Amino acid sequence: MAILTNDTSQGCEFSGSLKTVTEERVWLFSGGLRQDPGWPKKNIHTDLEFAKSCGLPTRAASAAMFEGYLTELMIDLFGVNWLKEGKMSLKFIAIVDVGDKLLPKAVVQSKEAEDSGVRFVMEVWCENQHGNKVVVGTATGWVR
Amino acid sequence: MTEQKRADQLAVGETFKTYELHITPEFNQQFLEAVEDYQPRYLQETEDGPPIVHPALLINHSNITRSPSFYLLPRMAAVHAKEEVEYLNPGRVDKTFRVSWKVTDVYEKRGRPYQVAEALIVDEDGVEILRRTITDTFISGKE
Repeated sequence: MAILTNDTSQGCEFSGSLKTVTEERVWLFSGGLRQDPGWPKKNIHTDLEFAKSCGLPTRAASAAMFEGYLTELMIDLFGVNWLKEGKMSLKFIAIVDVGDKLLPKAVVQSKEAEDSGVRFVMEVWCENQHGNKVVVGTATGWVR
Repeated sequence: MTEQKRADQLAVGETFKTYELHITPEFNQQFLEAVEDYQPRYLQETEDGPPIVHPALLINHSNITRSPSFYLLPRMAAVHAKEEVEYLNPGRVDKTFRVSWKVTDVYEKRGRPYQVAEALIVDEDGVEILRRTITDTFISGKE
Protein backbone atom coordinates (compact mmCIF):
# COMPACT_ATOMS: atom_id res chain seq x y z
CA MET A 1 0.00 0.00 0.00
CA ALA A 2 1.51 3.30 -1.09
CA ILE A 3 1.56 6.25 1.31
CA LEU A 4 1.53 8.97 -1.34
CA THR A 5 -1.81 9.84 -2.94
CA ASN A 6 -2.84 12.27 -5.64
CA ASP A 7 -3.66 14.70 -2.85
CA THR A 8 -0.22 14.66 -1.21
CA SER A 9 1.05 18.23 -1.26
CA GLN A 10 4.36 19.76 -2.21
CA GLY A 11 6.46 20.17 0.93
CA CYS A 12 5.08 17.11 2.73
CA GLU A 13 7.90 15.35 4.59
CA PHE A 14 8.27 11.64 5.31
CA SER A 15 10.71 9.60 7.37
CA GLY A 16 11.61 5.94 7.05
CA SER A 17 12.77 3.52 9.72
CA LEU A 18 15.73 4.48 11.89
CA LYS A 19 18.65 2.24 10.95
CA THR A 20 21.59 1.32 13.13
CA VAL A 21 24.82 0.47 11.33
CA THR A 22 26.33 -2.30 13.42
CA GLU A 23 29.54 -4.16 12.70
CA GLU A 24 27.63 -7.38 12.01
CA ARG A 25 25.29 -5.65 9.54
CA VAL A 26 28.26 -4.15 7.68
CA TRP A 27 29.84 -7.60 7.54
CA LEU A 28 26.59 -9.10 6.25
CA PHE A 29 26.35 -6.42 3.58
CA SER A 30 29.96 -6.18 2.46
CA GLY A 31 31.79 -9.22 3.80
CA GLY A 32 30.65 -11.81 1.28
CA LEU A 33 28.54 -14.87 2.00
CA ARG A 34 28.55 -15.55 5.72
CA GLN A 35 28.98 -19.29 5.26
CA ASP A 36 32.16 -18.81 3.22
CA PRO A 37 35.51 -19.55 4.87
CA GLY A 38 37.25 -16.45 6.16
CA TRP A 39 34.05 -14.40 6.39
CA PRO A 40 33.98 -11.47 6.53
CA LYS A 41 36.27 -10.52 3.67
CA LYS A 42 38.53 -7.60 4.49
CA ASN A 43 37.83 -4.42 2.58
CA ILE A 44 37.33 -0.70 3.23
CA HIS A 45 33.84 -1.41 4.55
CA THR A 46 34.61 -4.23 6.97
CA ASP A 47 38.13 -3.69 8.25
CA LEU A 48 39.64 -0.63 9.94
CA GLU A 49 43.25 -1.38 9.03
CA PHE A 50 42.35 -2.10 5.43
CA ALA A 51 40.44 1.18 5.21
CA LYS A 52 43.34 3.13 6.73
CA SER A 53 45.82 1.49 4.36
CA CYS A 54 43.80 2.95 1.50
CA GLY A 55 43.91 6.45 2.98
CA LEU A 56 40.52 6.53 4.67
CA PRO A 57 40.28 7.80 8.25
CA THR A 58 38.02 4.90 9.25
CA ARG A 59 35.85 2.13 7.86
CA ALA A 60 33.24 3.33 5.41
CA ALA A 61 29.95 1.46 5.27
CA SER A 62 28.98 0.74 1.67
CA ALA A 63 27.00 3.55 0.04
CA ALA A 64 24.77 0.83 -1.40
CA MET A 65 23.70 0.06 2.17
CA PHE A 66 22.21 3.48 2.88
CA GLU A 67 21.02 3.79 -0.71
CA GLY A 68 19.00 0.72 0.26
CA TYR A 69 17.47 2.62 3.18
CA LEU A 70 16.22 5.26 0.75
CA THR A 71 14.93 2.61 -1.64
CA GLU A 72 12.91 1.09 1.20
CA LEU A 73 11.39 4.51 1.90
CA MET A 74 10.53 5.01 -1.79
CA ILE A 75 8.76 1.65 -1.92
CA ASP A 76 6.83 2.63 1.22
CA LEU A 77 5.81 5.91 -0.42
CA PHE A 78 5.06 4.75 -3.97
CA GLY A 79 4.35 1.05 -3.51
CA VAL A 80 6.28 -1.87 -4.94
CA ASN A 81 5.54 -0.59 -8.44
CA TRP A 82 8.41 1.81 -7.81
CA LEU A 83 10.70 -1.13 -8.65
CA LYS A 84 9.29 -1.02 -12.21
CA GLU A 85 9.67 2.68 -12.91
CA GLY A 86 11.33 4.50 -10.03
CA LYS A 87 14.45 6.61 -10.46
CA MET A 88 16.92 7.98 -7.98
CA SER A 89 19.92 10.29 -8.29
CA LEU A 90 22.26 10.48 -5.30
CA LYS A 91 25.49 12.05 -4.08
CA PHE A 92 27.35 10.41 -1.21
CA ILE A 93 28.77 13.22 0.87
CA ALA A 94 30.01 11.73 4.14
CA ILE A 95 31.46 8.54 5.55
CA VAL A 96 29.12 6.25 7.50
CA ASP A 97 30.84 4.10 10.13
CA VAL A 98 29.83 1.39 12.56
CA GLY A 99 27.73 2.84 15.35
CA ASP A 100 26.05 5.46 13.21
CA LYS A 101 22.29 5.69 13.21
CA LEU A 102 20.71 6.83 9.95
CA LEU A 103 17.25 8.15 9.26
CA PRO A 104 16.09 8.15 5.61
CA LYS A 105 13.92 11.14 4.76
CA ALA A 106 12.02 12.57 1.80
CA VAL A 107 10.08 15.71 1.04
CA VAL A 108 7.82 16.35 -1.95
CA GLN A 109 9.78 18.74 -4.15
CA SER A 110 7.28 18.87 -7.01
CA LYS A 111 4.30 17.05 -8.45
CA GLU A 112 2.84 17.11 -11.93
CA ALA A 113 -0.25 15.50 -13.41
CA GLU A 114 0.48 13.36 -16.44
CA ASP A 115 -1.77 11.19 -18.61
CA SER A 116 -0.82 8.05 -16.72
CA GLY A 117 -0.83 9.48 -13.19
CA VAL A 118 0.83 12.05 -10.97
CA ARG A 119 4.60 12.31 -11.19
CA PHE A 120 6.29 13.14 -7.91
CA VAL A 121 9.86 14.35 -7.51
CA MET A 122 11.12 13.88 -3.98
CA GLU A 123 14.14 15.44 -2.35
CA VAL A 124 15.74 12.56 -0.45
CA TRP A 125 18.51 12.19 2.08
CA CYS A 126 19.76 10.18 5.03
CA GLU A 127 20.87 11.99 8.14
CA ASN A 128 22.94 10.59 10.96
CA GLN A 129 22.58 10.83 14.74
CA HIS A 130 24.27 14.25 14.65
CA GLY A 131 21.74 15.61 12.15
CA ASN A 132 24.32 15.60 9.36
CA LYS A 133 23.33 14.46 5.89
CA VAL A 134 25.42 11.60 4.49
CA VAL A 135 23.65 11.16 1.15
CA VAL A 136 21.50 13.65 -0.75
CA GLY A 137 19.57 13.58 -4.00
CA THR A 138 16.22 13.20 -5.69
CA ALA A 139 13.85 10.36 -6.46
CA THR A 140 11.06 10.18 -8.99
CA GLY A 141 7.95 8.05 -8.92
CA TRP A 142 4.33 7.95 -10.03
CA VAL A 143 1.03 7.69 -8.19
CA ARG A 144 -1.58 6.15 -10.49
CA MET B 1 36.74 -6.95 -23.27
CA THR B 2 39.57 -5.33 -21.34
CA GLU B 3 40.47 -7.86 -18.66
CA GLN B 4 44.08 -6.88 -18.20
CA LYS B 5 43.68 -3.18 -17.44
CA ARG B 6 43.58 -1.90 -13.89
CA ALA B 7 40.11 -0.63 -13.02
CA ASP B 8 41.09 3.03 -12.71
CA GLN B 9 42.84 2.92 -16.09
CA LEU B 10 39.86 1.89 -18.18
CA ALA B 11 39.01 4.48 -20.82
CA VAL B 12 35.68 5.62 -22.22
CA GLY B 13 34.04 2.82 -24.18
CA GLU B 14 35.92 0.03 -22.44
CA THR B 15 34.10 -2.61 -20.43
CA PHE B 16 34.54 -4.59 -17.27
CA LYS B 17 34.08 -8.33 -17.55
CA THR B 18 30.47 -9.34 -16.94
CA TYR B 19 29.48 -10.94 -13.65
CA GLU B 20 26.82 -13.55 -12.99
CA LEU B 21 25.23 -14.29 -9.68
CA HIS B 22 22.48 -16.62 -8.53
CA ILE B 23 20.43 -15.24 -5.69
CA THR B 24 19.17 -17.88 -3.29
CA PRO B 25 16.65 -17.20 -0.50
CA GLU B 26 19.54 -17.45 1.99
CA PHE B 27 21.60 -14.90 0.07
CA ASN B 28 18.62 -12.53 0.00
CA GLN B 29 17.95 -13.14 3.70
CA GLN B 30 21.51 -12.09 4.55
CA PHE B 31 20.88 -8.70 2.95
CA LEU B 32 17.51 -8.29 4.65
CA GLU B 33 19.32 -8.68 7.97
CA ALA B 34 22.00 -6.22 6.86
CA VAL B 35 19.51 -3.45 6.04
CA GLU B 36 16.85 -4.37 8.63
CA ASP B 37 14.09 -4.71 6.06
CA TYR B 38 11.86 -7.74 6.58
CA GLN B 39 8.93 -6.93 4.31
CA PRO B 40 7.12 -10.19 3.35
CA ARG B 41 7.61 -9.39 -0.34
CA TYR B 42 11.28 -10.34 0.04
CA LEU B 43 10.61 -13.59 1.88
CA GLN B 44 7.59 -15.23 0.30
CA GLU B 45 5.07 -15.10 -2.52
CA THR B 46 2.76 -12.11 -2.09
CA GLU B 47 0.28 -10.18 -4.21
CA ASP B 48 3.42 -8.69 -5.80
CA GLY B 49 4.44 -12.12 -7.11
CA PRO B 50 7.28 -14.47 -6.14
CA PRO B 51 9.81 -13.29 -3.53
CA ILE B 52 11.69 -10.18 -4.63
CA VAL B 53 15.44 -9.68 -4.36
CA HIS B 54 16.14 -6.77 -2.03
CA PRO B 55 17.18 -3.81 -4.20
CA ALA B 56 20.18 -3.09 -1.96
CA LEU B 57 21.59 -6.51 -2.82
CA LEU B 58 21.30 -5.75 -6.53
CA ILE B 59 22.90 -2.34 -6.08
CA ASN B 60 25.74 -3.80 -4.04
CA HIS B 61 26.35 -6.59 -6.53
CA SER B 62 26.37 -4.28 -9.53
CA ASN B 63 29.20 -2.11 -8.22
CA ILE B 64 32.24 -2.28 -10.51
CA THR B 65 34.18 -4.00 -7.74
CA ARG B 66 32.07 -7.13 -8.43
CA SER B 67 33.44 -7.59 -11.92
CA PRO B 68 35.84 -10.53 -12.26
CA SER B 69 38.18 -8.20 -14.15
CA PHE B 70 38.22 -5.50 -11.45
CA TYR B 71 41.53 -4.99 -9.74
CA LEU B 72 43.56 -2.15 -8.25
CA LEU B 73 47.03 -1.83 -6.78
CA PRO B 74 47.44 -2.68 -3.10
CA ARG B 75 46.40 0.24 -0.85
CA MET B 76 43.99 1.49 -3.52
CA ALA B 77 40.22 1.46 -3.35
CA ALA B 78 37.22 2.60 -5.35
CA VAL B 79 34.88 4.92 -3.48
CA HIS B 80 31.33 5.53 -4.63
CA ALA B 81 30.70 9.24 -5.18
CA LYS B 82 27.48 9.52 -7.16
CA GLU B 83 24.72 7.32 -8.43
CA GLU B 84 21.79 7.39 -10.80
CA VAL B 85 19.56 4.34 -10.82
CA GLU B 86 16.52 3.46 -12.86
CA TYR B 87 14.47 0.50 -11.72
CA LEU B 88 12.89 -1.46 -14.55
CA ASN B 89 11.57 -4.65 -12.97
CA PRO B 90 11.80 -6.40 -9.61
CA GLY B 91 14.48 -9.09 -9.46
CA ARG B 92 13.12 -12.43 -8.32
CA VAL B 93 14.76 -14.76 -5.82
CA ASP B 94 16.21 -18.01 -7.18
CA LYS B 95 17.09 -16.48 -10.51
CA THR B 96 20.49 -15.86 -12.04
CA PHE B 97 21.47 -12.30 -12.94
CA ARG B 98 24.09 -10.97 -15.31
CA VAL B 99 25.70 -7.59 -14.70
CA SER B 100 27.53 -5.67 -17.42
CA TRP B 101 29.45 -2.39 -17.21
CA LYS B 102 30.77 0.12 -19.72
CA VAL B 103 32.90 3.15 -18.90
CA THR B 104 31.21 6.29 -20.22
CA ASP B 105 33.33 9.09 -18.81
CA VAL B 106 36.58 9.75 -16.99
CA TYR B 107 37.56 13.08 -15.52
CA GLU B 108 39.55 14.74 -12.80
CA LYS B 109 38.15 17.11 -10.19
CA ARG B 110 40.20 18.80 -7.47
CA GLY B 111 43.11 16.54 -8.33
CA ARG B 112 41.14 13.35 -7.86
CA PRO B 113 40.33 10.87 -10.67
CA TYR B 114 36.73 9.96 -11.37
CA GLN B 115 35.28 7.22 -13.55
CA VAL B 116 31.68 6.94 -14.69
CA ALA B 117 30.31 3.52 -15.67
CA GLU B 118 26.89 2.43 -16.88
CA ALA B 119 25.71 -0.83 -15.40
CA LEU B 120 22.86 -3.03 -16.52
CA ILE B 121 21.39 -6.03 -14.69
CA VAL B 122 19.45 -8.59 -16.74
CA ASP B 123 17.97 -11.80 -15.37
CA GLU B 124 18.17 -15.30 -16.85
CA ASP B 125 14.97 -14.69 -18.84
CA GLY B 126 16.36 -11.56 -20.45
CA VAL B 127 14.28 -9.23 -18.27
CA GLU B 128 16.03 -5.94 -17.61
CA ILE B 129 16.06 -5.29 -13.87
CA LEU B 130 17.87 -2.01 -13.40
CA ARG B 131 20.24 0.45 -15.01
CA ARG B 132 22.77 2.48 -13.09
CA THR B 133 25.18 5.28 -13.82
CA ILE B 134 27.91 4.88 -11.23
CA THR B 135 30.52 7.52 -10.47
CA ASP B 136 33.50 6.27 -8.49
CA THR B 137 36.67 7.95 -7.41
CA PHE B 138 39.88 6.09 -6.67
CA ILE B 139 41.86 6.64 -3.49
CA SER B 140 45.21 5.35 -2.32
CA GLY B 141 47.11 5.27 0.95
CA LYS B 142 50.78 5.95 1.54
CA GLU B 143 53.36 3.19 1.18
